[in-house]
Amino acid sequence: MSKGIYLSSPEHYEILIEKYDTWMFDCDGVLWHDDQLIEGAAEVLKILRTRNKAIVFVTNNATKSRKTYKRKFDGLGVEAYLGEIFGSAYASAVYISSVIKLSKSKKVYVIGMIGIEEELAEEGISCIGGTDPADRTVEPFSLSNFTLDPEVGAVLCGFDPFINYTKLSKAFQYLSRNPGCHFLATNTDSSFPADGGVLPGAGAISAPLRFALDKDPLVIGKPSITMLDCIKAKIDFDPKRSIMVGDRLNTDILFGQAGGLSTLLVLTGITSEKDITGPNASSIVPDFVTQSLGDLRAAERSSR
Amino acid sequence: MSIRLSSPEQYDALIDKYDTWMFDCDGVLWHGDRLIDGAIDMLHILRSRKKTILFVTNNASKSRKSYKGKFDQLGVVASVDEIFGSAYASAVYISSVMKLPKDKKVYVIGMSGIEEELREEGVSFIGGTDPADCTVEPFSLANFTLDPTVGAVLCGLDVHVNYTKISKAFQYLTRNPGCQFLVTNEDSTYPSADGLLPGAGAISAPLRFALDRDPISIGKPATTMLDCIKAKVNFDPKRTIMVGDRLNTDILFGQGGGLSTLLVLTGITSEKDITGPNASSIVPDYVTQSIGDLRAAGSP
Repeated sequence: MSKGIYLSSPEHYEILIEKYDTWMFDCDGVLWHDDQLIEGAAEVLKILRTRNKAIVFVTNNATKSRKTYKRKFDGLGVEAYLGEIFGSAYASAVYISSVIKLSKSKKVYVIGMIGIEEELAEEGISCIGGTDPADRTVEPFSLSNFTLDPEVGAVLCGFDPFINYTKLSKAFQYLSRNPGCHFLATNTDSSFPADGGVLPGAGAISAPLRFALDKDPLVIGKPSITMLDCIKAKIDFDPKRSIMVGDRLNTDILFGQAGGLSTLLVLTGITSEKDITGPNASSIVPDFVTQSLGDLRAAERSSR
Repeated sequence: MSIRLSSPEQYDALIDKYDTWMFDCDGVLWHGDRLIDGAIDMLHILRSRKKTILFVTNNASKSRKSYKGKFDQLGVVASVDEIFGSAYASAVYISSVMKLPKDKKVYVIGMSGIEEELREEGVSFIGGTDPADCTVEPFSLANFTLDPTVGAVLCGLDVHVNYTKISKAFQYLTRNPGCQFLVTNEDSTYPSADGLLPGAGAISAPLRFALDRDPISIGKPATTMLDCIKAKVNFDPKRTIMVGDRLNTDILFGQGGGLSTLLVLTGITSEKDITGPNASSIVPDYVTQSIGDLRAAGSP
């Protein structure tokens, strides 16, 4: 199949909808920008549901738990079910409990927000750090005031807008001094769109640890197949009749490709025309490209 | 193969051979505020034998004047002109090599050492120790006004680093055309008095990752630091030795400059890093446990 097909006619969109039974959606930059729905996104989801498609939401954003995401969908008037939502915080918690099988006596040192803490709690995993006010400081960090907790068996790092030297130093102590301490990242998105601009992402938050340790974390979120394994464990789908819709080439599209899914790139998020055309075009080529998810409404006008 | 120094004759010969002695500080002369045993005596021996002493540190948290204060406090004889820090070298680089126009400024992620040296070189800056940036409040682009005169971002060790500083620097580096990305140094860790902590390289890592771009690095092992010294001090590389504890900064720096190199094991590097199957490919000319060992040479 040729790649990078630009969708444009109602017939294109109709064929696309017929072709795929399972539709996986990234959220930020695809369904919404912050708290504003992208035009037509809600209608397209309705169309797909009417046509009995399976819907899955796959987000690297670890700041919210699935339950909180459900509330966001509710607040925006978009139909969604808890079982359809897969966030990197959830996938990380499942990975720690079911794959690493971290012993119940051990705990996780968290650099991240409440979404991670809630998902770990749901999986019965103890954690320290995270939103603890004691770690949320720009006071200098002193090793002489720090007691290494021997029970920390993993460091899990996600997006954290309260990142500081204390959190980095503590995580560094655990990763360099607790034997066998796992180094995990919910995701490593380099940046994300916010407030009409771009801000450093989760990958920037874990970068200091990678550099100081000269060691890469195990990354749970897209494009890692760990996230897909998490979905497969809960949802039945045929990769050949599944499509991943996203706005970022090196997470969403790569994720879809690695899982044997078809891929649809939208240009309402992090990726723009210049990233996919011309001399600097990315080597990651989605199967299909369309300006916005809302374009799929045109299928309703198809003569097929 | 490195020469492992052990006998008084070897230390004496070493001292004879080199007229100019460059010392790293953290992990070589001191750990935090604790002098390494024998450091003062060793420096005294070198001075009494009329050697030129230079201190070459990547630590940008202090200016040269503040370092002089630290030397004084620890009872170590040193003059400001002998001290070369990466904050100083960065300020000189910005003013004399980059030639940043006077109407431009630098956004600083770093501490007072950088600010003092920039001020001395007449370079304007924002950020740094500004309390408005030293916050754990969330950063909002909606409340941020991009200053179009920021022509460079300079990043060094900053124990008050936070998302606001990283985000602001990211805005300048992505939105101000031609904005230079500079770091004082890229040491991955630094040896504090009580153990290892993330270093300057870890502080600038978020920007490198978010931008997918490497900065110009001023400090060791870059030759920029050596050029800064050459501009101020006369020395013959063939009769000069660099003494340090880190292979990929101190030793590489010495080698890059055609100097001889002496590795001490009182800092970052240990035996297992220089022997066995995982031995580093960076091989110093000489190795000794500690600079205190040089006392074995005795005074003339």
